[in-house]
Parts: sequence; C-alpha cells; structure tokens
Amino acid sequence: MLALLLDWLDSRTGYRALLSHALDEPLPPGTGWAFTTGSVVALLLGCQVLTGIGLAMYYVPSPSLAYDSLRYLMTEVPLGALMRGLHYWGASFIVIAAVVHLLRVFLSGAYQAPREMTWITGLVLLLVILGFSLSGYLLPWDQKAYWATTVTISVAESSPIVGPFLADVLRGGQQLGSLTLGRWFTAHVFLLPGVLILFVVAHILLMRRHGISGPIDPQPGAPIPFYPFHVIKDTVVMAAVFAALFTAAVFLPAHLDEIANPADANYVPRPEWYFLSLFQLLKYFPGPLEVVATQVVPGLIVGGMFALPFLDRGPVRHPWAPSRRVFTLVVVAVGTGIVTLTALGLRDAPVRFDPNVWGPQSIAGYLAAEGDGNSCVRCHVDGGPASPIRATRMSRDEGWMTFHLGDPTAIAPGAKVVDPNVEPMLDDDTVRSVMAYLRRVRAGAEPPTVDPATSATVRTIGTRCVACHRFQGDGGETGPDLTHVGARRDAAAIRRIVNDPNDEYGDSMMPIYGSRLTPAEIAALAAFLAAHK
Amino acid sequence: MRIDASAADPHGRRTFLSRTVVAVQAAIAAVVTCVVGGAALAPSFSAHRRRWQRAAALSELDDASPTPITLRLIRQDGYRQVVDRRVVYIQREAGGGVRVLDSTCTHLGCRTRYDAQAQRFLCPCHGGAYDLDGRVLDGPPPAPLRRLEARVDGTDVVVQV
Repeated sequence: MLALLLDWLDSRTGYRALLSHALDEPLPPGTGWAFTTGSVVALLLGCQVLTGIGLAMYYVPSPSLAYDSLRYLMTEVPLGALMRGLHYWGASFIVIAAVVHLLRVFLSGAYQAPREMTWITGLVLLLVILGFSLSGYLLPWDQKAYWATTVTISVAESSPIVGPFLADVLRGGQQLGSLTLGRWFTAHVFLLPGVLILFVVAHILLMRRHGISGPIDPQPGAPIPFYPFHVIKDTVVMAAVFAALFTAAVFLPAHLDEIANPADANYVPRPEWYFLSLFQLLKYFPGPLEVVATQVVPGLIVGGMFALPFLDRGPVRHPWAPSRRVFTLVVVAVGTGIVTLTALGLRDAPVRFDPNVWGPQSIAGYLAAEGDGNSCVRCHVDGGPASPIRATRMSRDEGWMTFHLGDPTAIAPGAKVVDPNVEPMLDDDTVRSVMAYLRRVRAGAEPPTVDPATSATVRTIGTRCVACHRFQGDGGETGPDLTHVGARRDAAAIRRIVNDPNDEYGDSMMPIYGSRLTPAEIAALAAFLAAHK
Repeated sequence: MRIDASAADPHGRRTFLSRTVVAVQAAIAAVVTCVVGGAALAPSFSAHRRRWQRAAALSELDDASPTPITLRLIRQDGYRQVVDRRVVYIQREAGGGVRVLDSTCTHLGCRTRYDAQAQRFLCPCHGGAYDLDGRVLDGPPPAPLRRLEARVDGTDVVVQV
C-alpha cells in the first residue's frame, strides 16, 4: 500500500530522481572524517532555526516585555529553559563549527580555483552567523545585552565619515531603546535568515557543481558514494556534537542578567566570547587609535580572507608548500593573536549575576518597600487597590517609577503638579534602592533574610553610602570601596569620618553625616563597617 | 567519475549503514522536535491554578438579598499580569455560611442584575431568569449561574477564584 502511494508520489513529483541526485554524489577516494565539518554547521543551523522558531513564539521585542517574556519562558514553560539553552549554546557551537570548517577548507587549499565562489559564499555565511550573534545578543534586554550593544553601536559610530549616520540607523534614532530592539529583532528573525537561506543554497549548489575537493594528495581507487558511506561519518560527528550541545544546555543553563538599567553607569559591558578578542584589542588602541582595533584590523582580516583565492590560485594544495607557506603563516599568526586576546579577555570575566545574592542597596529597597513605616504594601497587597509588589512587573519606565515612589498618590505623572512644600514620601536615595529591589524581584529573586539587629544600618548603607561607595557589589565609584573597610580603619576612625570627614581628611567632598544621622546611628554604622575586614 | 549506486551489496553493509544514518538523524530530529514542540504546546495544557481571595467584609453584606461585589482578580496572562473585574453576588445563608454566585449569564455571557422585587437574577440580553440559588427559571440559559467556592474567614468572606 505504502509502496503504491510512494510510486504515485514519484510519478507526480519525481522525488526519487531528486533524492538520487542529492545522495548518489561520487566522492574522491580517501574523502575522510575531515570532510564532515560542513555537515556539523548545517546541523547546528537547523537546530538554531527550530529553537529560534520556538523562542519567537514567546518572545516580545519590546523593552517593557522582552525580559519578562524570556523569564516567563525560562521559569514557567516546561522545556522552555532547555529550548533557550539549546539556542544560546548553539550560537557558540555554530561559531566554533564554522571556524573549524573554514580552517579545514583553508588547510586543504579547497578555496583555490575553481572553487573561489564556494569560499566567498562560505565567508558571507560566517559573517551572517556573526551577525546573528550580534543581533541576538540584544534581544534578552538584560544588563549584559543593553550595555554590550551600547558598545557595539559605539564601535560602529567610530567609523570614519559614515559612523554617526550608521549608529543612528542601528539605534533607530539618537537613543538605544524600543526602536533599536525592533530593528535588531527584525534583522535577527527576518533579514539574516533570508540571507542565510540564500547563501546556504548557493554554497551547497556550488559545492555540488565543483565537487568535493577531496584529500590533498589524490588517492587511487574507486569513487565513494556519498550515501551512505560518507553520510555515516557525517552522522557520527553530528551525533557527537549534538550530544555535547544538549549536555551544555542541560547542565549549564542559559543565563539571564538583571533587566537592562540604562541609568546604571557602573556596569562593565562584556561581549560574547567570540567577540572578546576585538574587545581586548580595543584596550591597546585608546582614543584616536580606536579605529585601528574596530575597523582596520578586522577589515584587513576579512578583506584578506575574501582575497585569498585570488592571491593563491593553486594548484598546489599542501599548506606548507612553498607557494602556500606565507598564507599558512599569516593564518597561524592571526589565529594565535585571536586566541591570545580571547584568553586575556576571559581573565577579567565579570562575576556571574545571581539575583539571590543581595547587596545593601537592594536590601534597603526591600526594607523600604515591604518593611514597616511608609511602605508600598499598604496598597500593593493581595485584594488591595494595587497589585502586590511581587506581581508588579515594573513595566513602567524609570521616570514614572521615580515620580510614583516620591508621591505614591501620583499614578499619572505629568497630570499632577508636584507640590514643592510637601516632602516626598521617599527621598531620591531610597527611591533608587527600591528600584534596585524591584529589579531583583523582576529577576525572580526570593526576598532576602535580614538580621533585625543590623537592618537599620544596612538601610543606611544601601541608601546613603552606596551613592558614592561600593559595598558588597552595590554602589558607585566616587569614594573608596567599603566592602573590607574594617581591614583599614577601626570603628572609632570610621565614626569620626562619617561624623565629619573634614576632621580626618581636611577638605573632603564627602557630606557631613553628623547632622543627618543620630550619634547612635553613626556608632552602629561604624561598628558594622569595622566588622567587615 | 560516476558510480553505480545500485551496485551489489553482498554483505548488507550498505543497508546497515543506511539504517544507522536514518536512525541517528531521526533521533536528533526527534529530540529537537520534542523540546521545541513541548515548549510550544505546554501552556495549552496547563491547569488553571485556583486560589482563595478576600471578597468582602461580612459587615458589607445585606441580610436579606444578594449583595453585588466586584472582585479584582489578578490573572497571569503568559508573561504579564492583567486585572480582571468580575461581579459576584454574595448572600448570607442560614447557619452562618455564604453563597457566592457569578453574575455572568450562562447563555451568552451578559451580566445579570438582581431584581429585589421578583427575587430573581435577570439577564438584560435575552430574558434569562435565575432564582436565588442560581437555578434557571426562564429563558435560554443552558445552565445555572456558576457558584464559587466560598467560606467565612473571621470577619471576611473569601472566595476561590
């Protein structure tokens, strides 16, 4: 019955002839495991497309919802975290697989005439893959995404002549925001996949037109049928790579940082590891020389790769043959440079963000929002006039939140004029701490446990001190880090400095807290900080 | 360079390799499809989580007739939260309990109103009528008014939503 159906299908479509044309390609004898690299790239591309479609079902390209939609997928949807893990790790795997494929083609001289266009379409595909990585990086709209993209656009902006124009196009205006996210999303899911499909088809057709290059030294014997004698090798390598990808996705889940906070001037942006070498290179070319790292070096490498088949036209294919030695040396030098720069860049990798590791600022915000006194829970409670705090997804912008936290009766900023004679319910320092707390809530953190004996002191640190000083990961860079201040100063000295820093330093820009905090508060603060050695 | 793809395969090597290729590649495809398909379909089959919510204070209720109360329901709509407003009728029962009826007509979803004189819930859309227990007395409604689980908790009425 099935045979009859397939016969009919073949009579109408001719699929058997097509299949036979696709599978019965004769390969040069000696075509071995090294020629499986392209299939691995194809497998990973397919995997990225499928998981990408799954992600697109949940993802919303809007600054107010992108982060929440992704967190929902990862925490609420069964298999959601695994699906994102496959896509996230797949991005890294595909870069490695594409580079390995490129190196194999380079070493075997397979780019030489008549395969120049196969090489060029492959290079375009590599650039498209890097374009996918770059555009996909912004989409989670977390701190890492926002700040790394800020750097990417700044790099584009430093281009000569067209830089500012290019940056405005990439941002969709003067500021990185909703229009930026919209166009990067469009590039990631519509434009780049279109280009990808076009060039994958061209690459495969060209590969078929000229045949596989085969071993460097032609071997005697009969041609090998592609199917199943080479496909089995492809399949074994594909299965191994897929097993590694799946293991990474299961045991090293994709990370999501805190939601993007454009007001955070202290965040150190980091690119994904495969752009780390360029990032590291930027450090050696400061100021006007920056263009060397951002444009000249990458431009020379990419330009050189495109020119390669026209500089080395063959027919000698051995990488160490006199006519090819110079190219091999250049590739080894560039490769060593990229690996070294990446290793140097990895050395100062930032601490991985964990929403449940609380700093004083977010604890202070928690105490202000959910503690006693003027707290948010008077209205934001189950069955109350406003949604409970943990159900509030903070979808309003920073300006609205600041206004509302200063005057909780104002739920339509702009419609109500601020009365200058009325003290705001929360001062600016406390508002910032509550915002820090709400970002934690949005990142899925559980409430912190706070020792009642030190809560008032932590609140002082989290609202006052962190404006200038860093303490346990939170705070500014204006003053020295206080995390281990106890190792440098005793309680008496700290009390003296907090009371009036001019007593200790002569002329200091630090405010005098003797008039803002009670002596008991200052004593408790000094004892607390002195204990942190 | 042509080969004869249908060359004799006396040891069955070709068949074995072909089957292995198909099996392994199908397994990879199945894993990816299960992950993506599972994640795509999962929310379609997730159960509604019920919870108890305060509806009103006992002192707000009429002694004789059902009191309309607007519930403010925070509902998870995927990755966002939305607030639904639903009107329920709460009535004291003999023995200290309460009876809570959803005001939505079971015919086409219009909001019923309570007619104190007739002691009936009347639907303004197509003339449906229900008695104090929510049973259909007249008109097209196919089922009684939906009754919500409710209990008295101290001085408050809490309902299951």
